[in-house]
Amino acid sequence: MTTIAEAVGAGELPGRVWMYSNYHCNLACSYCLTESGPGVSRRELTGERMIEVARDAAELGFTALGVTGGEPFLLPDMAHTLAELGSILPTIGLTNGTLFTGRRLAAAEEMAGTDVTLQISLDSADPDINDAARGPENFAKVIAAIPALVERGITVRIATTGGEPEPEAMARLCALHRDLGVPDEDHVVRPIINRGRAADAEMGVDVTELDLPAELTVTADGAFWSPFGPTVINGDLDTDLLLTRTTAPLRVPAETLLGLLQGRPAGTDSTLNIR
Amino acid sequence: MSSAEALPAAEAPVSSAEALPAAVAPATRVPLLTAANAPLTARRYFGNGDPGPIVAALATVPELLEVSLPFLSTVLGASALDARTKEIVIVRTSALQECRYCVDAHSVVALDTGLSVAEVRTLTATGPVSLPDAREAALLAWIDAVAGTIGPVADSVAARLGTTFRDHEIVELTMLIGATMMLNRFCTALSLPTSPEVAARLSEQGLR
Repeated sequence: MTTIAEAVGAGELPGRVWMYSNYHCNLACSYCLTESGPGVSRRELTGERMIEVARDAAELGFTALGVTGGEPFLLPDMAHTLAELGSILPTIGLTNGTLFTGRRLAAAEEMAGTDVTLQISLDSADPDINDAARGPENFAKVIAAIPALVERGITVRIATTGGEPEPEAMARLCALHRDLGVPDEDHVVRPIINRGRAADAEMGVDVTELDLPAELTVTADGAFWSPFGPTVINGDLDTDLLLTRTTAPLRVPAETLLGLLQGRPAGTDSTLNIR
Repeated sequence: MSSAEALPAAEAPVSSAEALPAAVAPATRVPLLTAANAPLTARRYFGNGDPGPIVAALATVPELLEVSLPFLSTVLGASALDARTKEIVIVRTSALQECRYCVDAHSVVALDTGLSVAEVRTLTATGPVSLPDAREAALLAWIDAVAGTIGPVADSVAARLGTTFRDHEIVELTMLIGATMMLNRFCTALSLPTSPEVAARLSEQGLR
């Protein structure tokens, strides 16, 4: 058993390894951590590279994977890549859910029955509120995509960003996701983090690494403390949560992360529900 | 490199060598990190404020910083060789490699170590230079052969050094020259900036 596997087994090191598949996006959300949008540099990890990371992670003893961006499904083979990742370790893929029509929806069927969960962002049951942060017609596209994916046997989780809505708004949102086929246990609510575009707009909660889950995160720019680490502000990558530029072998950043965790004081990641 | 050419005649280098020409430094070519964006494992180097441009540049690749800083501290820091000898090596090697940043920074360190302004001018001059002390003259010949030329070092130069330095000292001196050359190329290629404090001190001493 590797040192990493022992640490994961003992709960000293989170079991999930995240990958930023790309940084470009068809949306430009007001609170986006990575200033993603249609015109930004892609900074992709290829499907082959993500599968290498996954195999390396499994060999080291990590227990789960996550893929985020940018919008991962702008990459043409993402459904296939996620299915492959899911065959290695349980995988969660974050998506804005706006691209699942036509060929992309058909391609998504490859993920049916695999150990892949898609996490789709939906911030409000009120289209105007949701779309104010996420862009025009986002709500309509998302509520069309979710049941289409669920019907095809793909597990969908919903993420609401912005903190706990008012009780009445929360009740309407939960009723909506249940109607869409997503049970309560697959609905997560998380705060806006004051990094990236949110920092520019002075939104969200201030965090340090002590507040963020220490989930090893691999990007084209290096490995980071958390998926909330490789953020971008004014076009520049934040390096404060950079672990190493080396990502292969994965042992290099994993051991750096584990070393930093030794003696780490208790943080607020649980109480802030930053997940 | 040195700007000793601007010095008054009365304080000309003790050797007859011509001073190195001045150069206009281009802008620094990589971001220099600060405490605010220092990666996790690099933060301890920023605890007392600005750690200098070499650390600030290396911090962009924190795993390099982790191994290179202990190495450089061991080679350039306090050791069996006395500080004066080490600064002679660093300043002279840096002058031969025409590393403006290193010459500037270590001219100040050399002065603080006890070298005179005239001695610093000698070390930063172009062409063959020497110091009155036989041991240091042998050392300068060794430095000039190792850092100022390519290919084998002449047996005569090695033999001369061997008359005044022991084997382990020769090993350390040579590693120091090599490490300094590595830093010289790093600082020159990336055009690392001389701090205003160092520039002011050099001006004050007539070394700019």
